[in-house]
Amino acid sequence: MKRQNRAGSRVLMALVFLFLYAPILLLIVFSFNRGNSNTVWMGFSLDWYKSLFQNRLIMRSVYTTLLVSLLATAIATVAGTFAAIGFYSLRRQARTALNTVNSIPMMNADIVTGVAMCLFFVAFFSFWSSFAVWFNGIQSLVVLPERLTLGFGTLLIAHVTFNIPYVILSVGPKLRQMDKNLVDAAQDLGCTWMQAFWKVILPEIKPGIASGALTAFTMSVDDFIISYFTAGSSSSTLAMTIYGMTKKRVTPEINAVSTLLFVTVLALLVIVNLREARAERKGERRAASRKLAQLLDTPKGRVLRRAAAGALAASFLIAVVLLTGATNAQPMVNVCSWGEYIDEDLITQFEEETGIIVNYQTAESNEALYSLLKSGAGDYDVIVPSDYMISQLIEEDMLAELDFSQIPNYALISPRFKGLTYDPQERYSVPYAWGTVGIIYNETMVNEPITSWSALFDSQYAGNVLMFRNSRDAMATALSYLGYSLNTTSEAELREAFQLLKDAKNRGVYQSFVMDEIFQKLEGGNAAIGAYYAGDYLTMLENNEDLRFVVPEEGSNWFMDAMCVLKEAPHKDEAMAWINFIASTEANLKNMDYLWYGSPNQEALEQYPAYYEELYEEELGQEAYDIIAAPQEVLDRCEAYLVLPLETRKLYNDLWTELGI
Amino acid sequence: MSKELIRLRDLCMAYDDELVLDHLNLYINDKEFLTLLGPSGCGKTTTLRIIGGFATPGSGDVLFDGVRINDVPPYKRQINTVFQKYALFPHLNVFENVAFGLRMQRRPDPSDPKRKSKLPEEEIRQRVLEMLEAVSLKGFENRRTDALSGGQQQRVAIARALVNRPKVLLLDEPLGALDLKLRKDMQIELKRIQQQVGITFIYVTHDQEEALTMSDTIVVMDQGSIQQIGTPEDIYNEPKNAFVADFIGESNIIDGVMIRDRLVQMYGRQFPCLDGGFGENEPVDVVIRPEDIDIVPVEQGQLTGTVTGVTFKGMQYDIIVDFRGFKWLIQTTDHSPVGARIGIKIDPDGIHVMKKSRYSGLYGDYSSFSDEYDELDTVEPEEGGDET
Repeated sequence: MKRQNRAGSRVLMALVFLFLYAPILLLIVFSFNRGNSNTVWMGFSLDWYKSLFQNRLIMRSVYTTLLVSLLATAIATVAGTFAAIGFYSLRRQARTALNTVNSIPMMNADIVTGVAMCLFFVAFFSFWSSFAVWFNGIQSLVVLPERLTLGFGTLLIAHVTFNIPYVILSVGPKLRQMDKNLVDAAQDLGCTWMQAFWKVILPEIKPGIASGALTAFTMSVDDFIISYFTAGSSSSTLAMTIYGMTKKRVTPEINAVSTLLFVTVLALLVIVNLREARAERKGERRAASRKLAQLLDTPKGRVLRRAAAGALAASFLIAVVLLTGATNAQPMVNVCSWGEYIDEDLITQFEEETGIIVNYQTAESNEALYSLLKSGAGDYDVIVPSDYMISQLIEEDMLAELDFSQIPNYALISPRFKGLTYDPQERYSVPYAWGTVGIIYNETMVNEPITSWSALFDSQYAGNVLMFRNSRDAMATALSYLGYSLNTTSEAELREAFQLLKDAKNRGVYQSFVMDEIFQKLEGGNAAIGAYYAGDYLTMLENNEDLRFVVPEEGSNWFMDAMCVLKEAPHKDEAMAWINFIASTEANLKNMDYLWYGSPNQEALEQYPAYYEELYEEELGQEAYDIIAAPQEVLDRCEAYLVLPLETRKLYNDLWTELGI
Repeated sequence: MSKELIRLRDLCMAYDDELVLDHLNLYINDKEFLTLLGPSGCGKTTTLRIIGGFATPGSGDVLFDGVRINDVPPYKRQINTVFQKYALFPHLNVFENVAFGLRMQRRPDPSDPKRKSKLPEEEIRQRVLEMLEAVSLKGFENRRTDALSGGQQQRVAIARALVNRPKVLLLDEPLGALDLKLRKDMQIELKRIQQQVGITFIYVTHDQEEALTMSDTIVVMDQGSIQQIGTPEDIYNEPKNAFVADFIGESNIIDGVMIRDRLVQMYGRQFPCLDGGFGENEPVDVVIRPEDIDIVPVEQGQLTGTVTGVTFKGMQYDIIVDFRGFKWLIQTTDHSPVGARIGIKIDPDGIHVMKKSRYSGLYGDYSSFSDEYDELDTVEPEEGGDET
C-alpha cells in the first residue's frame, strides 16, 4: 500500500517536471533538427548552430548583450553594495521603508518600467536638446550635441537601474548577519572607514556581493522588455534579436540560440547555488586561499597583484573607449524592417563594400512601427513600411524626400511597381518586396481543390480553418468574398463582412485565429485551411508536400513594402547608399531567394528562374514562380490596402472587439 | 595615587531628544581599573563609546593627557577596545586577528624619517606570539576564531587590543556572554592582566559583583548622570543615595529623621549611628544592609516584626520580616520559621544615613522580594552601542 503510494507520487513528480521542462526540452531537441521544421524531425545535425555563429545579426547582439550585461553588472554591483551599506547604517524605520522602495522595481511589471524609462529618456532628450541649443548659442568653446537618441547608453542605464535592487537585496542580509561592532573594531585597531571597508566589511559580505552580481548578470542577459523600450535603434540585445526573428517564423536557428541562452542562464544559476552550498563548508577551503593570499601579500606579490588589477582595469577601459569610439567614428545606418525579411549576407556584404555599419532592427507590424516612430523611441534611418502605412507617413510629413541621384538602381525597378497609389509622385519610396495573400490548404484534407474565399466560411470544414489574427487581413477575406473593395469605408459593407466572420465563428468554423502559428498548424497537418502570405506557403511546402496555395478567384490583397527614409534620419547619405544597394539586381535576387516574396526589380524577376537553377541545380517550376511573383493577371484581380479614414479604423476596432478573439 | 589621564568635562549627549548623558564630569587616572556601573540605558556604554571615539558628544570635552580629542577619529587614539561579543574578524584566524592592529601601524622609517613604513613581519610575529602567550592561547595561532570557546574568543579579543600597547583599554561588558563559572575566572584573569600590563582599564558592566571584584574605582551611573564615584568599599559601605544603595548589594532603605548627629529615628525609635552633618530633624533615608542585622529575642529587640518568608541560600538564610507593613531583608545563619515574632538589633556602624534624593521611596522595601530577584535576573545582558 505504502509502496504503491510512493510510486504514485513519483509518477506525479515526474509529470510535474515533464510539464515544466517539456517545452524547453522540445526546443533543445529541435535545435538539432536537420530540416527547418519545428514539428517534423528530419535527423540530427549541428547546422543550425553553425549558421547561428555565422549570423552576424545574432553575433552582434550577443556581443551587445554581453557588453551591456557585464558593464551593468559591474556598475550595479558597486553602486548596490554601497547603497546596501548606506541602508544598513540607517535606523530601522528608515531602512524598512527604503527596503520596500527598493523592492518595488523588482515587483513592478517590466513593461511599466520599460515604458516609463523610455518616456523619461525621450523627455530628457527633448529637454537636453533645448538646453544644448541655448548653450551652444551663448558660447562657442564647447559644442554640446543637440540631438541625443536612445542607444547603448540608455540601454546600459536601464540595465544598471534594474540590477541595483538585486544587488542590494543580496548584500543587505550579509550585512545584517555581520557583527555590527566589526567596523568599530577595525577602526579601533587603526583603520580608516575605507580601510575597514576593504579589510573587514568586504570579506564578510563577499558572498552576498558575488551572488548579487551573478543575479544581476542573469537578469541582464535575460531581460527583453526593458531593453526593448530603451535600446533605441542602434543596439539590439540577444533577447530582442530572437524576438525579432520569431515575428516571422520560429526557425531552428532560434531554437539553437535559445538553447545556448538557456544553458548559459542555467549555468549561472548552478554557480550561484553551488556558491551558497559551498559557503556552508568553506572551512576546508580557507587554508588554500590563505596560502594564496600570503603569497600575494609578499612585496613581490603585491606588485604583481596591483599590476594585474591595473592591467585589468586598463584593458576594460580601453575596451569601452574603443567600443564607443568605434561605434561613434564609423559611419552607420539604422534600419528597421520585419523579422526574417532579409538575407543577412547582404548586410555583411554592404558593410564590407562601404564600411558603413548597419544596425538592423525589426518591428512586429506596421502599427507597431508607427507607434515606435511616434513615441520618439524609434530613431531609424531606413524603414520598410507597407503601402498603406507609407501614405499615412507621407500624410503626416514624417518621411524625407529621397535623393534619387544617389540611388541609380531605382531605374531597375519595374515600371509597374513605380508611382503606385501610396507614392504617386515617386518621391519617398523605393519598393523592397511584394506579395499576395491567398489560401493555403492541405489537399488531403479537403474534398476538392479550393478556389474561393467561401472555403473560409464553410461549415463543412468546421474546426479545421485558420483565420488571421488581425482585423485588416481578416476583414479583407470577408470583403473579398462579398465582392467589396478592401478599402471600403461603407459601414453597411463592413458590417456585412463582419457578420459573415461572426457567423462562421459561431458555427465553429475557425479552429483558431493565428499569425505565425499557422506554420506549425499547417505543416503538422493540424488544420486544413488557412489564409496567409504567398511567400510563406513555399516555406511550409518544404515541410509538408500536401499543401497547396491559391489566390482565390474573387481577388485578394496584394501588398508592397518599400524602403523610406525618415525626415529626422541622422544618417541620410548612408541611408541612400543602403537603399541603392538593396535595389540592385544582385541583392534582389538574393532576397527573392531568401524570402520567396516577389522582387520589384525587373531584371531580378526575369533572372530568378536561372539563378535558382544554378544555385540548387534543379528547375524552378512555373507554378512556384507564379506564387513568388504573381503574374499580372492575378495582380489585376487584387487590391492594395489604402489608409483608412479615422472613423473607419475606429469601426474596425469596434467590430474586432465585438468579435471577441 | 597616579596622574590623571582622561577627563570628561560636562558631556551631554542626546538621541532623538532623549538625554543619554546629562552634564557628565569624570576624570580617570593612569593605570587605574575603573568601572562604569549601572542599569541598561544609564549611559555607561555611550560614555565608553565617546572615549573610544565611536560617538561624538553633543557638547562638552574629552581630554586625553590634557589634549582635547573630541574630533580625533578612533584609529588615531591610543585607546583600544574589547567589544561586546568580541567582534573578532571571522575571515581571519587567531594570529591574523591579533596581528590586525600591528599590520595597520605605520611608523617613521629609520632610514628615511620622512617616509612611514610598516612594522617588520618578524616584529609582528614576535609581539603576537608574546601576547597570545600572555592570554594563555599559545598554540592557537592557526585556529579559526569560530572554532574557539567563548572564553578563548574573549582572550583573543583582549590580545588583539593589548598587542597595540594602548594607554587605555576599554571593555564593553566583555563577560556578558560567558557562563557564571567562566565569568568568575575571567574576572580574576582580567585583573591579573591589567596589573601585568599596567595600563588603564575602563570597564563597563551592569553586574555589581564584577565591579566590586575588579575595580579600583567604581562609577555608578543612572539616567545619564553619575550617582557616586568611589572605591568598591566606599560604594558598598557608604552609598550616597537610595539608588546606589539598592543597586550595589541588598539594602533595606527606611524613611528616617536625623534627630541630631549620630542619632537617627526610625519607626518612632531612636538608633545610635556614626553619621553626622545633617540638619536637626532632617528627613533622611536610612540604609541597613541585610547582613548587619542581628535577630534577637523579642524582648531584647530594638524593633519587633513577623517573619513572612525564609529562603535557604547555602551560606545563610534570606529572611523577610514585616515591620509595620514595610518588609526587610535579613541575612543570617540562624533559622527562624515563618510566622515567628522576632526582635532585631542593629549596631551603630550598620546604619548608613543618606540625604533624601529623587530616588527616595523607590527602593528598599522587600515586599516584592521575589519579583526583585526576577528583575535582576532579567536585566538585559545586551546593551549595545545603539542604546537610546
